[in-house]
Amino acid sequence: MRFVFDNHPVDFQPGDSILIALLRAGLHPTTGGCLCLAGDCPHCLATVDGISYTRTCRTTARAGMVVERHPKDGLPKLPPATQAPPVDVRHVHCDVAVIGNAELPAEGRRVVTLDSKSGQDVIGIYAGPLVVARTAEGMLHVHPKEIVVATGAIELQPVAPGNHLAGICTARAAEKLKAAGVNLGRTVTITEAPLRFEGTGSVTAVVTREGRVECDTVIVDLGRTPRNGLARMAAGLPVRAVGDAAREPQIPACPQAGVVCPCSGVTVDDLKSVWDRGFHELELVKRATLAGTGPCQGAVCVPHIRSFLADRGGKLQPSFAARPVAFQPIMHEAAAGAYHHPTARTALDAEHRRAGAHMERSAGWWRPWTYADPLQEYWAVREGVSICDIGTLGKFLLDGPDAVELLDRLYPTHVATLKPGRARYTLLLNERGYVIDDGMICRESETRFFLTFTSAGSTHAELWIRDWADAWKLDVRLLNRTVALGAINVTGPLATALLRDAGLAHPPRYLEHKIARVGDIACRIARLSFTGEVSYELHHNAGDSVSLWRTLLALGAKPHGLETLLRLRLEKGHIVAGQDTDFDSTPRRLNHEWAVKLDKPDFVGKAALLRTNQLPLDRQLVALETKGEPPGEGAVLWNGKDYAGYVTSSAWSPALEKSIMLGWLRFFNGSLPEEVMVAGKTARRAATPLYDPEGRRARA
Amino acid sequence: MNEFVERKIALTWRAPKRAYDVVIVGGGGHGLATAYYLATRHGITNVAVLERNYIGSGNSGRNTTIIRANYGIPEAVRFYQRSVDLYASLESETGRGIMHRQKGLLWLAHSEAGVRAERARAEVNVAFGTKTEFVDPDQVKRICPQIDITGGGLWPVAGGTYHPEGSTARHDRVVWAFAEGAMRQGVDIQQGIRVHSLRVEGDRVTGVETDQGPISAGVVLSAAGGHVTTLVSTAGVRLPIRTHPLQAFVTNHYALEFPIIVASATLLFYASQTARGEMLMGAEIDRQPSYSYRSSHDFLQHCAFRAMTLLPFLRNLRILRQWTGVCDMSPDYSPIMGKTGIDGLLITTGWGTWGFKAIPAAGEQLAQLIATGATPELIAPFSLDRFARDRTMADRGSAGTH
Amino acid sequence: MRVPERFRLIHIVASPAALDKAEYLRIAPDEALAFAAPESIDDPYAIVEPDDGYAGLWLDAQEAEKFLARACEWELPPHRPAFAQGAVAGLPAKLWIERDRMLILVPAPYAADLEERLA
Repeated sequence: MRFVFDNHPVDFQPGDSILIALLRAGLHPTTGGCLCLAGDCPHCLATVDGISYTRTCRTTARAGMVVERHPKDGLPKLPPATQAPPVDVRHVHCDVAVIGNAELPAEGRRVVTLDSKSGQDVIGIYAGPLVVARTAEGMLHVHPKEIVVATGAIELQPVAPGNHLAGICTARAAEKLKAAGVNLGRTVTITEAPLRFEGTGSVTAVVTREGRVECDTVIVDLGRTPRNGLARMAAGLPVRAVGDAAREPQIPACPQAGVVCPCSGVTVDDLKSVWDRGFHELELVKRATLAGTGPCQGAVCVPHIRSFLADRGGKLQPSFAARPVAFQPIMHEAAAGAYHHPTARTALDAEHRRAGAHMERSAGWWRPWTYADPLQEYWAVREGVSICDIGTLGKFLLDGPDAVELLDRLYPTHVATLKPGRARYTLLLNERGYVIDDGMICRESETRFFLTFTSAGSTHAELWIRDWADAWKLDVRLLNRTVALGAINVTGPLATALLRDAGLAHPPRYLEHKIARVGDIACRIARLSFTGEVSYELHHNAGDSVSLWRTLLALGAKPHGLETLLRLRLEKGHIVAGQDTDFDSTPRRLNHEWAVKLDKPDFVGKAALLRTNQLPLDRQLVALETKGEPPGEGAVLWNGKDYAGYVTSSAWSPALEKSIMLGWLRFFNGSLPEEVMVAGKTARRAATPLYDPEGRRARA
Repeated sequence: MNEFVERKIALTWRAPKRAYDVVIVGGGGHGLATAYYLATRHGITNVAVLERNYIGSGNSGRNTTIIRANYGIPEAVRFYQRSVDLYASLESETGRGIMHRQKGLLWLAHSEAGVRAERARAEVNVAFGTKTEFVDPDQVKRICPQIDITGGGLWPVAGGTYHPEGSTARHDRVVWAFAEGAMRQGVDIQQGIRVHSLRVEGDRVTGVETDQGPISAGVVLSAAGGHVTTLVSTAGVRLPIRTHPLQAFVTNHYALEFPIIVASATLLFYASQTARGEMLMGAEIDRQPSYSYRSSHDFLQHCAFRAMTLLPFLRNLRILRQWTGVCDMSPDYSPIMGKTGIDGLLITTGWGTWGFKAIPAAGEQLAQLIATGATPELIAPFSLDRFARDRTMADRGSAGTH
Repeated sequence: MRVPERFRLIHIVASPAALDKAEYLRIAPDEALAFAAPESIDDPYAIVEPDDGYAGLWLDAQEAEKFLARACEWELPPHRPAFAQGAVAGLPAKLWIERDRMLILVPAPYAADLEERLA
């Protein structure tokens, strides 16, 4: 069996690691350095099947593998883009996770052992607690109640000139190499820090205080330091280290010369240099040299640097926090088990797609932007009858003895005076008096209300209502109906006629709502208007949406998408919360003071409004109109040479035959400019609504 | 030979005095830069910077080192452009290498709303002196060929903005360049000293109480990030600041073949390559407020996943380490700089995810405020009283990720 | 793998005391799902509505175990039958677990995502 190493075939025996196979063949995956064969040092890292920084001592050789040395000068290249199925992940729940090799009496507890010798490489311990490990079958996410770290000890590496040469290994590595039949030649074992290694490429001799010994392999036995990185990254979690991992570290002699940190190429001279420049804390020394920030994350160098700093500064500084990654995963492995945040689909999603609609993500939902020709969709609303999927609206039922009390305290509009069967527009304010959403209140009975919010705002609105109900200890029941109900808006001058054709003899009047059947489907029918034409919102069980939509299409209604809806509402000057509002939009800035009843005893935001209403206004949301193409949304408004604001919404109005906008306009010397420049042309302020200012069409 | 070993900066530590003209609490980039500009621009050198740990140990040493000015409101664009300009000349001014690299920043949009926001950003940037242009998907592909324009078939790139002055610098070297520059002028910088309260007499701050005894001062500047809230509360000042963790990670080192900064506000990640060749990625702030530096697996998993969606070459890169900083967030996503209503007590906070990029400009402006007693025009919009005056600096464009 | 279908459930919001009097899929102290409408609820303000907002499917015990081992980070309750809820495959899920099968429900707007993530 063979794998390929830098274009040469290499034979291996079953069970060999890549490193063993290479050494047996007289090859080396790097230029040298003291090999540990325990996954601690950086001296066997190579690119395996396109993945660089792979520990060849821990990677079992397989036929056909492609192994490449990292470049001698420079770094591995960024790999090309590849496609691969996600890495499998398996979740395991247990009482105790043992990392490493420790005998533990189970005593009826569920114990999971993760031992790198059996192919489970633990990458890290995280809050949860969660132990993440890599196995041959994929990633393992173990969720224990407690964790035992029994990862043993790291053998200290030698710091001396020549420690980069091949032919140096630790004592335990030597045992493994001998057992694997690797020919080490003449060996010499040293148990105290060497003065230097000699040789070019490979070691030919080692010099200690006792003299110079010629050899082919130097076996280094300088003591051990606990392999406790996992325990250190788990501070504050139910984790205990046992065995060698729990022992006091052996501090090596202060290094005198040579490379201390092989990953970053930091020498003892570099340590001296930064010490003399005032960098005395381990963290500052690390940052000033980058020692300890390479692939071995300080496993090799930190004991020596601590010794160096203790020698100079008189006290032993604690080791820096281990990074939460040992046995480093590739990004593909780290991402195992992750999913994209899903984009919601309404009950009519398949209908829109079948009709060839261009779908866009908006406020977390897929929505039809346009079906084919947005202008045709527009005129269908203005001159005929059209339907729009508004199932994304936030929809809630509220009931309870304190329902009126809650809504009257929450909303800036009057709620107690709203009669059952009637509907009212409302803003939602925060404590600072800034608008966070808007919607409708439909009163059903003395205590029951149907509430709507914007598609983008409904999740927050629910939290908002619950939070205040809890804070005020009010007795209410709230049910989120957003996904349980579909909603279709039937709009246009022929909307009433269409609903009559669908069997609705007595449609509700403007700002009224009722429960009735359309076709054979029970609907809450609310007569509101966002488009400026006669409009009926049909709220119904989502399972009936497709049938209702097809019934309305069969009766002659044409569908319109979001692009058209936004154009229609802009002609009416209706704001879209989130698009036209900003973090600090008071009703006064939005020209929506009519929606705020300051004569109410109290509501959320009232105190702030009473205060800020005394301050001079700095800017307002205004309507603007200009000739020709609509300026882009976000376009800057200029008052002469002064910045005057920006456009929040912009569209061509087919009915008005001009471009219309909403935008934030600053005050100059106490008043709003009548004219501004935008996208190189003049725009004039206009009164809202621009279309059908008396509102006759919506009420018809 | 490791070119990253610091071979020029020399830090000189002096024993503390009991009184200074100015005491700056917090030895991060902001505090040190203020001390540097006080000394070099205004000749005010009887200054102490008090750091509870080591200099740069907070967010100055935990951020992702991005410098940019492509903000969403005129006041912010002007302010951050000043910082971009000061960063560009910091190496020549101090004679110290901060590894400043102008890379260009691509900010990607994946929806109609995103495209709208990017067009708006480009227009307001250009209007206030920052170079940002709207780019379509073809241009995106030309600027950064490694981007999968289809977004893995899930999040197609609909457009974006390109901000050519987007840069990076080595964070530690920025901290040390300012520290050394201040020290050379006689500023005392002390490590391992903890300030636990302010000394106030009447409406005036007179110094600080530390774990090494009181230190009196004519002016106290709190530059301690989110910890400013607890410190100034000892003088009765309440701040609208919440502190949230922000995480990041890097891969191992690879050849320098990704010369740009890429961000996606929809996929909530950004990526760049460090001077050492690590691919560096980060995401949004953690939702729960906390001062914890603990890193989570959830972050690593999801940030890696989303980054690979747009940059599929990342798949086989080996992760090196992850870390966490904390962000002091203000209600309007803009910083709070300047006076507090207590004479002599100044603050610089609310630095959210944009503290590093503001270091030179904030330091320069606050130094001017301390030296003259008057708030400079460039930072006047960011004063604390804006919340009471209903003049918040609402900046959606900054509510992004870095 | 089969396709998730829209389920019609009954959604109840009522005082916790009223809900305590019967066995429901209890999703909050004051909120429950039921497979059929209750005959009565001891709360004059209770909201009881048909709910088309969930989609899901039954998995046999083996399929369920295999799917949850890779898609569910939290541990299921040990007793049967059991109701549990939380993120599964990145979706907000409700699980009704019987001895030999399990119903998994997600908000119907995510039905397509559940189908894809089951595959």
